[in-house]
Amino acid sequence: MPRSLLEYEEIVGKINISILRQLADNLKGARVVHVNSTRVGGGVAEILDWLVSLMNDLGLEASWEVISGPPEFYYTTKTFHNALQGKASSLTKTMIEAYEDTNQQTADKLRGTLEDADFVIIHDPQPAALLEHFPNRKGKWIWRCHIDASRPYRKVWKYLEEKVVNYDASIFSMPSFAKRLPHPQFIIAPSIDPLSDKNRELEDSEIKAAMETYGIENSKPVLTQISRFDRFKDPIGVIQAFNMLRETIDADLILAGGGASDDPEGQMVLEEVLEEADGDRQIHILNLPGDAHRMINALQRASTIVLQKSLQEGFGLTVTEALWKEKPVIGGNVGGIKLQVHNHHTGFLVNTPEGAALRMRYLLRHPEELEYMGKTGRRFVQENFLLTRHLREYLTLMLGLRRGLANYLITE
Amino acid sequence: MNESSVFSIKDCTLITRMAGLDSALNIREMRERVAVCPIECLYHHFCETVIRPTFDDPEFRNDFSVWCSTYLGDKKLAEQLGILNPYDFNNLEELRAKMMEIIDERLSELYYIPSAQIGEDFQFMRAVTVVFDTGKHIYSPDDLIRHIPFMSDSSLYYHFVEAHRRTLQSTDDFTVYLQDFDHEYEPLLEEFAKIDFYFLNLHELRLALKKSIENVIGAEVPHA
Repeated sequence: MPRSLLEYEEIVGKINISILRQLADNLKGARVVHVNSTRVGGGVAEILDWLVSLMNDLGLEASWEVISGPPEFYYTTKTFHNALQGKASSLTKTMIEAYEDTNQQTADKLRGTLEDADFVIIHDPQPAALLEHFPNRKGKWIWRCHIDASRPYRKVWKYLEEKVVNYDASIFSMPSFAKRLPHPQFIIAPSIDPLSDKNRELEDSEIKAAMETYGIENSKPVLTQISRFDRFKDPIGVIQAFNMLRETIDADLILAGGGASDDPEGQMVLEEVLEEADGDRQIHILNLPGDAHRMINALQRASTIVLQKSLQEGFGLTVTEALWKEKPVIGGNVGGIKLQVHNHHTGFLVNTPEGAALRMRYLLRHPEELEYMGKTGRRFVQENFLLTRHLREYLTLMLGLRRGLANYLITE
Repeated sequence: MNESSVFSIKDCTLITRMAGLDSALNIREMRERVAVCPIECLYHHFCETVIRPTFDDPEFRNDFSVWCSTYLGDKKLAEQLGILNPYDFNNLEELRAKMMEIIDERLSELYYIPSAQIGEDFQFMRAVTVVFDTGKHIYSPDDLIRHIPFMSDSSLYYHFVEAHRRTLQSTDDFTVYLQDFDHEYEPLLEEFAKIDFYFLNLHELRLALKKSIENVIGAEVPHA
C-alpha cells in the first residue's frame, strides 16, 4: 500500500521527517529503480514495499522491478544464497545458463528503464548479472547484498564476484557481512515499518482471535519463532529446546513460517519439522501464506518470548520486529542477531538448544527482567531501526555517490 | 542586522563505509592497521560512534575499547584506550601515536595475545557525512538558547560535538555565536565548557545542555 511520510510523524517525530525532506530536496526528480526477485515474502520485499513509496513521497521517481524465471533459475539463486552463507554447493553448466539467460531476458525487458535511471539498486545475487548487459548505463549502479557474505563458499563466490565487481558501490547490512570489493562498500542496517500490517498496533481482540484460530491457550507462556522453514533458522533445534523447557515449565511453542516464492527448499524443511514435532499438540507449526502479516503480528504480540535460534542469519528482521513489540528475544549467536540482542538488556544470545532452553527457563522465572528487556528493545528500535533511519541512509548514500564521495559534503 | 548575528541551524547525516583495510583478530593486528589507517577511520571509531545506529549503549565511547573489552576480554587495554578523549589532542595524528604507545605497552605485558573469534574481528570503517541547512535561522542569543533543547540529535551532534573539529577555537558552535555578544552570556558559556561531551551519548548531551541552560536562567526549560 503506498505510504506517505506524514503517517510516520507521530511515531518518529516531526523533526526526523523534516530531515528527510531537506535531504531529498537535493535529489528531487532522481530516477531510482530497485530490482529484486520477489514481490511477496521475505524481508527484502517488505523493505521495498515501503522504500519505493516513501522515496516517491520525497519527490524522487522510484520504481520497483522484479526478475522472474523458470524453476531452474530459483534453484540456482537459492544455491547462491546458501553458498554466500558458506554452504558448499556446486554450480552446473545448466544452472549457470538458467541464471544468465534469465538476467539477459530481464535486461532486454527493462532496458529503457534501467539504462536511463539515475540510480539502479540491485538487491541480492538474483539480478546481479543485469549490470553486464548495460554498457551504456547513465546512472550509478549499486549492489545491495542482504545476505551475510563474510565467508562464502569460494567457488560460487568466484563466479558471483565477477558479476558484482563493476558496480559503483555495494551495500551490506553489517560490517562483518561485507566482502572486499574494488568499489566503496557501505553499511546500511535494515529496518522495520512500524505501520505495516506486520508491526502496527493491534486490538487485543484481534490477538486473542489469532490464538483461538490455532487453538492456542493464553493461560500458558507462549514461545514463538517466526521464520521461513529453512535449516539455517534451526527449527529442529527450537523444538529440542522447547522439549527441554517442558521438563519444568508448561508452555506452548509456535513455529510459524511465511512462504517466499523464491525458496524451493521450504516444503522439504517443513516436513522435517513436522516429523520432529511428532504430533505434539503444544507445538503449533503454522505454514502461513506470504501475506499473513497481521497474523504474524498477532502471534508475535501474543508471545511471552520470541526465539530466533538461527545458525546463520542476515540481519534478522524478525528480531527487530519482536523487540519493537516489547518482546525479549532468545537468538542464535550469529549475524545481525548479535547486533540486536545484548544479554540481559534485550534478550539472550545462545549457541545450542540447551542454551535456548536455559534462557527461556530463566526469563519465564524472572518476569521483571522480561518486562525490562521488552522496554529496552523497543527504545533501541524506536531510536535507530525504524524505516526513517534506513531511508535517510539511502538518501545520504545517493547524495554521496552523486558528489564523488568526499568524506564531508555540504549541500546547498 | 549583520550576518554574524544570525545563527543558521544545520543538520547532518552520516553513512558508514568500509575503510578498505583487513580486519583485525588481535591487538597486534589492530596496532598494524591503526598505524596505517586513514585518519578519517580513527575519527569515525572515536568520534562518530554517538551518531551511528545501535542496539546498545556501550560502556566505552570508542570502538577499539568496546572491541577489546567485548571480544578479547582485555579489560585493561579497554580502559586505557577508553579514557582517551580525542578532543584533548591537537590533532588525530597525536591520538594515533598515543594509541600505539598504549597498545605497545600492553603487548609488552602479555605472555600470549588473545584473539577474537572469526566473525568478531575488528572492522575498520569510515564515514561520509552530509551537512545541510535546515532553513531555520536564529536572530538572537535568547532565541538560540530557547531552541537548543528542540534541535534534532544530529543537529546537536553537528553544532556541539562535531564543531570541536571544525571551529578555529576547537569549541562548539553555540559558544562561537554567543561569545560575540556582551558578557551577559558568559555564565552559560562557562556551563557549556564544563560539559564532558565526549563521554556522553546524544540523549545525555541534550539533557546536559538543558541543565546548563536551566542553571543559568534559573527556570525549567521545556523538553523536546
